[in-house]
Amino acid sequence: MTFEEIYKTYWRKVFRLCMGYVNDHDWAKDIAQETFLTIWQQLSKFRNESSIGTWVFRIATNHCLRQIEKNKRMPKANMPTEIAEVPQTDDSSKIEFLYKCISELPETDRIIISLELEDLKQSEIANIVGISEANVRVRIHRIKEKLTRKFNTYEE
Amino acid sequence: MKNKIDLKELWNKQETTTPDAKELFDKIKRLKRNNLYALIATNVALLLTCAFIGFVWYYFQPEMITTKIGIVLAIMAMVLYLFAYNRMIPLLVHVGYDMNNNQCLQQLLKLKEKQLFLQTTILNIYCILLSVGLFLYLIEYALRMELIWAIVSYSVTFLLIVVVWFDFRLRKIKKQQAKINGLIDKLEVLGRQLTTNE
Repeated sequence: MTFEEIYKTYWRKVFRLCMGYVNDHDWAKDIAQETFLTIWQQLSKFRNESSIGTWVFRIATNHCLRQIEKNKRMPKANMPTEIAEVPQTDDSSKIEFLYKCISELPETDRIIISLELEDLKQSEIANIVGISEANVRVRIHRIKEKLTRKFNTYEE
Repeated sequence: MKNKIDLKELWNKQETTTPDAKELFDKIKRLKRNNLYALIATNVALLLTCAFIGFVWYYFQPEMITTKIGIVLAIMAMVLYLFAYNRMIPLLVHVGYDMNNNQCLQQLLKLKEKQLFLQTTILNIYCILLSVGLFLYLIEYALRMELIWAIVSYSVTFLLIVVVWFDFRLRKIKKQQAKINGLIDKLEVLGRQLTTNE
């Protein structure tokens, strides 16, 4: 796969992952760009030991986690400004709420649920995060329960 | 199962457009250019410092070996400092992005500890080399002075070294330690998140 193909296929996915992590449009875009910068630099070293998707998501999630090195910007759970400009429909407020709830989870849970919502297999998530598949399954279940509870309260 | 479908649907509805790859390539170009400028600036600074010290050597024609050793030590201190901060430490920081999160966090933790050790050690060596260098360099000129001026010169130099050693060095080390220790704490929290449910 060429860099351009990877970029076209994965930009949206990587952006959504970053958005779930920080819930800030500009910041998410920055992390996504840093991710593709690393991909561009490392592509020649990619040896097909894992699927390209796993490799891309590993780089993206590590970039998310390493945001702790940048002290100036602490994760915040505000509503993203970008979406606020879009005319409010029932769905858009739900989308905002979903991303807000995810960004309030512990860091590694944000990554796990984002990957799950991106439709990755649990074995792939386990491979990206570096925990067992059983653990991934248990955690996805718990996170979804938590999110569902929040949504139920939200809709009441 | 309905909730699962709902969450995925909502997740995928997040407004995103793929920005033109040109924006990214501009950023890459900018980064490369900045790296090049940093490299040039580092080398120019290094060359100018060495040229200045070389000029001192040539112009004042030191006769004693202590002066020459002093100059060499001072140059070594500066080269070491610049090398460490511009080459070695960035190399340590930018690795491991294609590992899994767990390995990446563990590696980052190790790297930060190493970085802390390196920065402290290099700063200590830098201060020692510079102090000893200055001390040796002054011997020849102090011998040519009247006793009172020699004492004044050495007292001022000694005071300067004490300030560098106990104030500048300790403050800098403390600042670096606080920063890296804060990061290590946060990394440990993240690491625990991954291991608690195992």
